[in-house]
Amino acid sequence: MYNPVKPLPHKIVNVKKETDLEYTFRVETKTKVKFGQFLQLSIPKIGEAPISVSDQGIGWLEFTIRNVGKVTNEIFEKKEGDTIFLRGPYGNSWPIEKFKDKNLVIIAGGTGVSPVRGMINYLSKNKDYVKSLHLICGFKNKECVLFKEDLKVWANTFNTTFTLDNEESKGFKKGFVTAFIKDIPFNTFGEDYEVVVVGPPMMMKFSGLELEKCGVDINKIWMSFERKMSCAIGKCGHCRIDEYYVCLDGPIFEYRIAKDLID
Amino acid sequence: MNHDINIKECRINCFRESKVPGEFMLQMRVPGGMIDSKYLDLIQKISKTYGDGNFHFGTRQTFDICRIKYEDIDKVNKCIEDYIKEVEEGLCDVDMDLVAHEKVGRKVNTGYPTIGARNISACIGNYHCICGNINTFELARKIEPIIFPSHYHIKINISGCPNDCNKAHLCDFGIIGVSKLVYHKERCIGCGLCAKICESHATRVLSLNKETGKIDKDECCCVGCSECARHCPTSAWTRSEQKFYRVILGGRTGRQTPRTGKMFLNWASEETLLQVLGNWQKFSSWVMDYKPEYLHGGHLIDRAGYKKFKEIMLDGVHLNPECIVAEDIYFNEIEYRSNFNVKPLSKHKKAGPGA
Amino acid sequence: MSYKLTLKEAQKLLDKLSLTYDIYAPKKLKAQGRYSDTDIIKYEKIKNIDEIEYREKSTYPMKEVISPIQQTIFYFTEDKYRESKVSTKPILVFSRACDINAIKVQTKIFIGNGGFVDYYYQRMYERIKFILMECDFESDTCFCVSMNANITNNYSLAVRFEDDGIHFEVKDKDFTNYFKGYPHSSFAPKFVMENKTKVHIPEIKDRNMLNKIKKSPMWKEYDKRCISCGACTIACSTCTCFLTRDLIYGDNSEVGERRRLSSSCQIDDFALVAGGGNYRTTAGDRMRYKVLHKFHDYKERFKDSHMCVGCGRCIERCPEYISITATVEKLNKEIERIEKEEASNV
Repeated sequence: MYNPVKPLPHKIVNVKKETDLEYTFRVETKTKVKFGQFLQLSIPKIGEAPISVSDQGIGWLEFTIRNVGKVTNEIFEKKEGDTIFLRGPYGNSWPIEKFKDKNLVIIAGGTGVSPVRGMINYLSKNKDYVKSLHLICGFKNKECVLFKEDLKVWANTFNTTFTLDNEESKGFKKGFVTAFIKDIPFNTFGEDYEVVVVGPPMMMKFSGLELEKCGVDINKIWMSFERKMSCAIGKCGHCRIDEYYVCLDGPIFEYRIAKDLID
Repeated sequence: MNHDINIKECRINCFRESKVPGEFMLQMRVPGGMIDSKYLDLIQKISKTYGDGNFHFGTRQTFDICRIKYEDIDKVNKCIEDYIKEVEEGLCDVDMDLVAHEKVGRKVNTGYPTIGARNISACIGNYHCICGNINTFELARKIEPIIFPSHYHIKINISGCPNDCNKAHLCDFGIIGVSKLVYHKERCIGCGLCAKICESHATRVLSLNKETGKIDKDECCCVGCSECARHCPTSAWTRSEQKFYRVILGGRTGRQTPRTGKMFLNWASEETLLQVLGNWQKFSSWVMDYKPEYLHGGHLIDRAGYKKFKEIMLDGVHLNPECIVAEDIYFNEIEYRSNFNVKPLSKHKKAGPGA
Repeated sequence: MSYKLTLKEAQKLLDKLSLTYDIYAPKKLKAQGRYSDTDIIKYEKIKNIDEIEYREKSTYPMKEVISPIQQTIFYFTEDKYRESKVSTKPILVFSRACDINAIKVQTKIFIGNGGFVDYYYQRMYERIKFILMECDFESDTCFCVSMNANITNNYSLAVRFEDDGIHFEVKDKDFTNYFKGYPHSSFAPKFVMENKTKVHIPEIKDRNMLNKIKKSPMWKEYDKRCISCGACTIACSTCTCFLTRDLIYGDNSEVGERRRLSSSCQIDDFALVAGGGNYRTTAGDRMRYKVLHKFHDYKERFKDSHMCVGCGRCIERCPEYISITATVEKLNKEIERIEKEEASNV
C-alpha cells in the first residue's frame, strides 16, 4: 500500500547562508516541481514542516528555511553531504500558462520571496515568456535581505523596486511594499496583466486593498497562503479555511476567493 | 438571680454557659457536617420551645441552640435522645456508653456524655464538589466511633482536596483527601493544559517536555489535588481508584500560640489513617497520665514532643506502602510575646507518668 | 436470521470469534472520570462479554479504535523512515449507529479528501466490521435523529442485550456458521426514531452570509465561557484533526519515531505557524471555526451530510457546560437576525 506521508532521504549538496536566520539548502532530487509548490521537510526534533521550493534546476531543489526559534537549530547544523528527508511536492502552482505574454507584476515580502524565486529565475532566463515583469520585493531591514545575488540579476533584467521597511540603503527604497504599488503602470497594461502577491498575511491583505484601489481587476490577482500543516494531504485539518484546504486547494488562491476567506 | 450550677458538668454535657446567667447553649454534633434535613424540624422545635427561636451554625459544624434555661436542660436532653441514637449510633456506629473505652453506664435521655473530642467538621467533598477527592462525611462517620465519646480533646477537620477549604491546617488533626495521579501517556496529546493548570492552581510539578511532547512530573512535590485529571481533555490523567489521605498535624488558633499545622503523614490509606487515629486515646492518656483535662490536642503534642507522639501514634500501625511519615516536625508559632516559651523550669509542663 | 444466546453461550461465541477477530467494545473504567468517583467509558479490546458497557453512551467515541489518540507512524534512522507495523487480524467493534455513521465522515476525509488515501486509516478501516448495538437509553444530549445519523445498515451483526441473554441478528454471511445450533429469535434491531433534543439545521445560503456570521458578535460569548481545552473535539465522533511529533531516542536526533496525535482546533496553538503568527487567537474564534466546520464547511466541501452525528459527547465532556445544540440554535437566531437586517436594508 502506498504511503503518501513517507519521507525519503535526499542528499544536501549545498548550504548557503542567506541571513543570520535564513539558510538555503540545495537538495539532490529528481522530483519535478511546479512553481509555487511546496514539500514537507523532516526537520530533526521538530518533525515535519511545509517548505516552499525557492528554486530548482536539473537534479536539484532549493529550500530556504528560516530559523524560527531554538527547536529548528538542528537543521542549521546540516552540512553538504548530509541527509535530509522530503516528501511531496504538494499543492497547486502559480498559473504560469496564464502569465504567458502578459505584463506580470510580482509583489513579495520577506520570506515570501522564496515561493516566487524559482519562477522569477525562470523568467529571467526566458525573457520572452512574459511581456514585462514588474517586481516589488520588500524586506524588514538590510540584514533581512534574501537572495542578494538574484536581486542583482533581477534588477538588471526587470523593472524592480526593492524596499526596506524602516531604512534606506543602496538599491533599496524606504517603506512598505504597499507604498510602491501605485507606481506600477497598470494603466499601460490594458487587460494584459496578472498580479502575484506573496508575503506575511498583513502584507498580502494591504497589498490586495492597495491593488483594488489602483483599479486592478480582482480576477487577475494571485496569492500564496502559508498555514500550519501536519500532513499536507488534506487529513490533519490544520490548514483548513472554510471548505478549502490550503495544502490541497492552495497554497495559491485567486484573490477573488482569498479576500473572502476568514480563518 | 441565684444559681448553683456545676457549669463544668454542663459543658461536658455539651451545654455551654451563656453571658446571660442561667442560660446555656446546646451544641449538637453533626459528624462531617452532613445530616438528613429532617432534623431541622427538631432543631426548630427545640429552638422555639426552649430557646429564643434562633439557631447558629457552630464553627465546628454543630447545631447550636442558645438561650436554653438551665432548668430545661433535662427536657432538651430528652428531645435529642433520638437524634443522638440515630446519628451517633445509627450513622456512625458509636457506642454512647463507652467513654474512652470504658463503660460509663449512660442513662437514656441524658444527652451527650462528653464534649472532649469535638465534632469532626468536613467540607462537602466529592459528594458534590468538582475538586473533591474523597467522600468527607463518610470518612467523618468512620472516625467518629474512634475518637468519641472521649474526654480527651481533639479537633479533626476534613478537607476533600488540598484546596483545604475546611482548614485542615488549623486543627489538631487535619485530614486532606489526595489522589495518586495516573498518567496514561498514550492518551496524552501534549496540549500542556495540565502543566498550565498545575502552575496556576497547584504546585507547578508538571511541565510539557518540548522534545517528547509529553509531561514531565516532579513527583515529590505533587500535592495530589487532581486538577490535572479534572482539566485533561483526553483522560490522560486519572485519579487512582484507591483513596489517599494527607494528615496535617498540630495546627491551631488561640490566644497564645496560633500556628498552622505541618504534614505528619502523606499518602496514607484509609486503613492506615484509622489505625493511627485509633492510638489517639492512648497518646492522650499517656501525656496526661490518665487525667483528662480541658486541653487541646495540639498542646498534648507539644508536651510530649513530636517524636514521642509519633512513637505512640504509630504503635502497632501497619503503614500502607505508599505512606510516608514526617521524621520530625518544626512548628512555626506566632509568638505574640517574644520568647513566650522561655520561663522558669518549674513552670514547664510535664508529660507522661506523674504529669 | 436472528438468534438468542444465553450469556454463557454468548461468552462461548465471543471466545470463538476472538480466535479470528480482535474485538473492541465500550468498557467502563472505574473512577477514571474527570471528577472523583466518576467513571469513563471508552473503547478497548475485550475478552469477556461482561466487559461491554451497553447501558450507557461511551464517554469517548468509537473512532479511537481506528484512529487512536496516539499512534507511531514511522520509526526513523539516519537514512530511512520505516512504517510502524500493526496486526492484520480483522476487527469487530460493538458500535452504535451514530458512531458507525461518524466513520463515513472520517472516511471521507482520510480516504477521500484531495485524492490521498491515508495509509494508517486505511489499514485499520479495511480490517473493521461492526456489531450494531441498539440504543435503549434516553439521553438528552443525543440528537442523532436531527443529524440523520440514527439509522445504519453498515453492520455485520446486531445485538440486543437482555438480563438473561443476548439477541443477535446475523447480516453478514461470514458469521452464519458461528450461530449454527442456537435458537432462533425474531429480533430485528430497533433504531432511535426520536430524540428529546432536536436541532434545527442552520442554512447558510452564501459566502456573504457566512462571512457575516463569522464577524458576528455571537462568538464573543465563548471568549469568556470556553477554556479551550479541546475536550469537545477529542470526544467528537467525527473530528479527525491530528498533528505529528517526532520523538528522538536519547541524544541522537537522527534516530527515533514519528507519532500521530489527536489535536484540537480548540487549543490555542492549532493555527500557530512557525513564525509565531496565529490565525485564531480567541476562544470565540476557535469555537466559531469548529461550529461552522460541523454545520457548514464540511458539507460545502463534500456535498454530503453535515460533520456531526448528534452523539452529544461534546456536550457531556464540556467542563464549562457549553452545549452544541444550544450553540446551533443561537446560530440559527443569528442567521435570522442577519436576514432580517438584510431585508430591511434593501
